[in-house]
Amino acid sequence: MSASATTSAKRPIGEILFALVFVSVGAAGLLTAGSIPIPPSETGIGPRAFPYIVCGLLVIVGTGIVVQVLRGKVGQAEEGEDLDVTAKTDWVALAKLVGFVILHIFLIEPAGWPVAAAVLFSGAAWSLEAKPLWRAILISVVLALVLQYLFGGLLGISLPPGPLLEGVPFFHG
Amino acid sequence: MDSFMLLLEGFSTALQPIYLLYALGGVFVGTAVGVLPGIGPAMTVALLMPITYALDPAAALIVFAGIYYGGMYGGSTTSILLNTPGESSSIVTALEGNKMAKAGRGAAALATAAIGSFIAGTIATVLLSFLAPVIAELAVGLGPVDYVALMVVAFLTVGALLGASVLRGLASLGLGLFIGLIGIDDSTAQQRFTFDNPTLVDGVDMVLVAVGLFALGEALYVASKLRHGPVEVIPVSKGKNAWLSKEDWKRSWKPWLRGTFIGFPIGTVPAGGADVSTFLSYAAERKLAKGANKAQFGKGAIEGVAGPEAANNAAAAGVLVPLLTLGIPTTATAAMMLTAFQRYQIQPGPLLFENQGALVWTLIASLYVGNLMLLVLNLPLVGLWVKILQIPRPYLYAGILVFAALGAFSVNFAATDVGILLVVGILGYFMRRYGYPVAPMVVAMILGPMFEVQLRRSLQLSQNDPTALFSSPFAVVVYAAMALIFVASWWLRRRQAALEAVTVKDEVSV
Repeated sequence: MSASATTSAKRPIGEILFALVFVSVGAAGLLTAGSIPIPPSETGIGPRAFPYIVCGLLVIVGTGIVVQVLRGKVGQAEEGEDLDVTAKTDWVALAKLVGFVILHIFLIEPAGWPVAAAVLFSGAAWSLEAKPLWRAILISVVLALVLQYLFGGLLGISLPPGPLLEGVPFFHG
Repeated sequence: MDSFMLLLEGFSTALQPIYLLYALGGVFVGTAVGVLPGIGPAMTVALLMPITYALDPAAALIVFAGIYYGGMYGGSTTSILLNTPGESSSIVTALEGNKMAKAGRGAAALATAAIGSFIAGTIATVLLSFLAPVIAELAVGLGPVDYVALMVVAFLTVGALLGASVLRGLASLGLGLFIGLIGIDDSTAQQRFTFDNPTLVDGVDMVLVAVGLFALGEALYVASKLRHGPVEVIPVSKGKNAWLSKEDWKRSWKPWLRGTFIGFPIGTVPAGGADVSTFLSYAAERKLAKGANKAQFGKGAIEGVAGPEAANNAAAAGVLVPLLTLGIPTTATAAMMLTAFQRYQIQPGPLLFENQGALVWTLIASLYVGNLMLLVLNLPLVGLWVKILQIPRPYLYAGILVFAALGAFSVNFAATDVGILLVVGILGYFMRRYGYPVAPMVVAMILGPMFEVQLRRSLQLSQNDPTALFSSPFAVVVYAAMALIFVASWWLRRRQAALEAVTVKDEVSV
């Protein structure tokens, strides 16, 4: 609660923008719902009615939140065990994490799941200031291989082993 | 007595050695993951879903039963032993449990929580075994109008009642409904909001949204404000004095039972699940305590751990009643369970007990088994849970990211799904940052399409006359009950605010 008081001076802009996301999703939905085809046999309220209701709700509720925030009633950020609510948002760490997830997505197919997973783990641990780095990398490699063996080998979930491990039979089911 | 025989048959499946092993595995993994800070039961079920992909339906349900109860119990260990508040359903436990642990009574707090959970879970499962078939039979006679009424209640309680902000709850609900609309309309086979994108035609998979919101969103949110430095876990003292004394037993057994009978009914009606029941139980114990025991509230009263923990577990079993008999999930965890069922072509609802009786009764039997295993497993393994609590946070959250990505990828083995996961995760981050509850979105996403089908069916039957929605006596009763719930919750909110004010005052005065 003290966090919302200390940061409230800066917060509303982001909060209003986020509430506007709801409004714009609703508005976009209202604009496009009219083009949902209605089969001639339809005798009920058809496939458009519910989308109109839902998108209308989003627009109304989103606008309501904007009004509330402008009147000074800001949201209460969630609390948690590992959270330092007084800390400033670490945008750099966030950007790094998002970046590593994107890298992971592009590595799965060409490099195989274990490589992609090891990169994601060590990258994320590094972004969160794990020290020393070599230990994070070591853990990531072990974890990726164990998961590949458990899920790909034992449980038969088809995780692509990638060119490096293609020849190792127990990494795919 | 018919259902009793069926239950015995369920046991004969659940007690086969291989299934016992699955139950043990489920309970163990569920607790281990549930112990991790910031991971609630819904996230535990979502994260562990890939484990069950390769299992047969019975084994998968048994593992899920274990994960469900294990995840629930793991949370209370966290809130008792960590210095900071835990997930919502066990925050009340933290009020007293944390204080007990600090006073060197951690083992007693964990024990009363474990035994209370076991007793409540067992009684509630017995109630579930007898109540569910009866309700399922009644539910066969329900028409679409009645379902519309039930789901309206579920939407409004989950969306509007449970969070701190009504509008934010409804916004989360609306977004969930919108995502549920994406894909092919069940009734007319027309595409809606797909923008001719082939990945969207099949709709957005529930697993992606749940894992994205719960796991990725949470990890990003914690990462943005991570508490650096060593993790402080309150040490659990060993020895004779640490365990439950005679006095503790005497003070615990009534709260266990009261918690059970507060939790189970609240779990069965779509009125808020675990959170509300733990708070009510805590308030009741605080009120009923006398003399020196009353003075202990706020400083580590054992009743304040025993009651809410029992209520929490009883509510968890209660939630399964509407889930199994009506197919209506009333909490995010239940929505995850429903998703898991649907992967095995199991459709919960009134016909479930007829069509897949053997499976359901195996599931119910495994709830008994899982509960017992939790009791046996938990206390001796406290040392292990403490180790898990101490995992350095960078590794913990890196691991959650890897598991989330694994879960998303294994839905369809498509890297694009991990992309959807990331988008939902970023959404989940901002929802947490600006105080939007994520549970309504998950519940709405799964309940929305079911609601639309029933709504359109009812209106079609009445030639689009909306007054038909109030034509059945059952529906009218449901709407009336909803009005009552809203009044009651308004009253409860004022009580809760008053209680919080008192607790804060206590802390200041200490």
